[in-house]
Amino acid sequence: MASIARCLRIARPSVVSAFAQSSVRIARPFSVTANNELRKYTREHEWIELSDDKKTGYVGISSYAAKALGDVVFVELPEEGKEVQAGDALGAVESVKSAADINAPISCKVIASNLTLEESPSTINKVPEDHSASGGWVAKVQVSEEGIKDLEKLMDEEAYKEFTAAEDH
Amino acid sequence: MAALLLRSANGGIRCLTKGPAFITTTTTATSSSFGFGLLTKLRRSYSTTISQDLLNKKVQVYQSTSKDPYLNLSIEHHLLQHSHPDSYVLFLYINDPCVVIGRNQNPWLEVNLPALQEAEDIKLVRRRSGGGTVFHDHGNVNWSVICPPAVFDRDRHAEMVVRALKDLGVTTAKVNERHDIVIAGDGRGNGKDLFKVSGSAYKLTRLRSLHHGTCLLNSPRLKNIGKFLRSPGEPYIKARGVESVRSPIRNVDINTDEFTKGVVDEFLAMYQEQFGEDVKVERVGEEVKDMGNIRKGMDELTSIPWIYGQTPQFTFSSRPTEDDPRERPALDLDVQSDFNIEFTLRHGEVQTANVSGLKYEGPAMDEDLYDGMASQALAKGSDDESPLKLYEIQDWVTVLKSATAGQAFKVSDSSLNSISEWLNKVFPGNHFR
Repeated sequence: MASIARCLRIARPSVVSAFAQSSVRIARPFSVTANNELRKYTREHEWIELSDDKKTGYVGISSYAAKALGDVVFVELPEEGKEVQAGDALGAVESVKSAADINAPISCKVIASNLTLEESPSTINKVPEDHSASGGWVAKVQVSEEGIKDLEKLMDEEAYKEFTAAEDH
Repeated sequence: MAALLLRSANGGIRCLTKGPAFITTTTTATSSSFGFGLLTKLRRSYSTTISQDLLNKKVQVYQSTSKDPYLNLSIEHHLLQHSHPDSYVLFLYINDPCVVIGRNQNPWLEVNLPALQEAEDIKLVRRRSGGGTVFHDHGNVNWSVICPPAVFDRDRHAEMVVRALKDLGVTTAKVNERHDIVIAGDGRGNGKDLFKVSGSAYKLTRLRSLHHGTCLLNSPRLKNIGKFLRSPGEPYIKARGVESVRSPIRNVDINTDEFTKGVVDEFLAMYQEQFGEDVKVERVGEEVKDMGNIRKGMDELTSIPWIYGQTPQFTFSSRPTEDDPRERPALDLDVQSDFNIEFTLRHGEVQTANVSGLKYEGPAMDEDLYDGMASQALAKGSDDESPLKLYEIQDWVTVLKSATAGQAFKVSDSSLNSISEWLNKVFPGNHFR
């Protein structure tokens, strides 16, 4: 997903200028809900949301990525049982003639893939960060010990929001 | 044939002609210019590897000496995976005649496989980037640029190729909204209709962005390209994955050497000065075939599971269905009036099969029962355990016969033959013979 930030800049200049105009300094309001400690983001625009016991999690691409990619016409899902390190390819999406890798946010093992995306790839555009049965999540994974350590390198929701706002300038 | 001589900014001489090119390139130009001087800078060593030193240079240019599409794509993939993350790489290659489908496409839907079988010398390739189906031959040059994700832009290097074309007299060349390169009329100001001369596709990894494209310069097969890209199975197939978008095409009518030089010049103009390096065009080809990664890449690209098995789920049905209500062409087969044959396939393997309306020979004709049994049998492969692999079918006659193997009934010969003949045309196994 690393290239997609640039795609966004080129494809939607109006969005970029809106950001540029509206945010000189992002004031942080008090949020009503606590920052979800179990949800983290990568610089390449993937997310992982852990279960309460931190043994499993759901992985997908962020709304920011889904917007930047444009209409996703195909999702290549990872195979069950696939073991990956952080940063390894965990499937791919195709949009606008581009086969773009989805990378594992942490070291993990694939337990299940979201087969809804095979039938209806546009689900990933509609609800990319939703990990319910009808959501656009990509894979359910088992978190290894190494994976727990990898989490520390990732951004929480607030940090990711700032990161993407900065990317649009 | 009128020839125009142009002096380029660097003092080299370029030759343009209209129509088929008779240009003979010379190697006597000044060695410091980018134009013809490039020929004198070609590295003559034929190392059997692409050294990491080379892959770490800020600006790299490679030209393939091989026409093997599988090798060229494997070299390209090696460059994508092993060039330094901050580097800018240009790779140029020409392929033997082949049909190239995108990563997530369906060969039975996109390609005239029987025509490929008949032609015998045309290869079928599935590339790793997205997009649609194209035809390559010696009149087409493929250009590929690999760069850091931070500067990735779908049009940036297509515009680079447009500049090269304009420098060569193709004044109406431009990039359209689909990131294709089109020309108006003959590209020199005669005619207004737009023709596609180059298509683009992309592969985006975590560290690198690859943009590659074709350029139809002087393909002798232009009139036949359409035939290879129109599948006789298309009326019956409904596929997930990516479908091609058709465009009218034409040749640019430029010599491949001229075009190649022009693209290298424009690439160096973008990056060489910026990084202050003296870039040589590296020739790579057959000699790197046995490099570990390249060998691995070729093995994958030439394998049947890759070419055929990487096909997203699809259905084949001889009659309209709820999912695919299109009207089908009228069939003239020796079958009952309720004839229907339907398959669902994943990874090129049959998941479900349904036949009805076959003509049987045998005792106590319970045709519905026979149809049901034949349907079940059809879904299985020859070992009765794993599913029938479409890409392993040599002749549908064998498959249909085996659907009633061991039964007291069988499909009548004439019914069997007429259905097989039709299926071999619209739904053949693989194209290898």
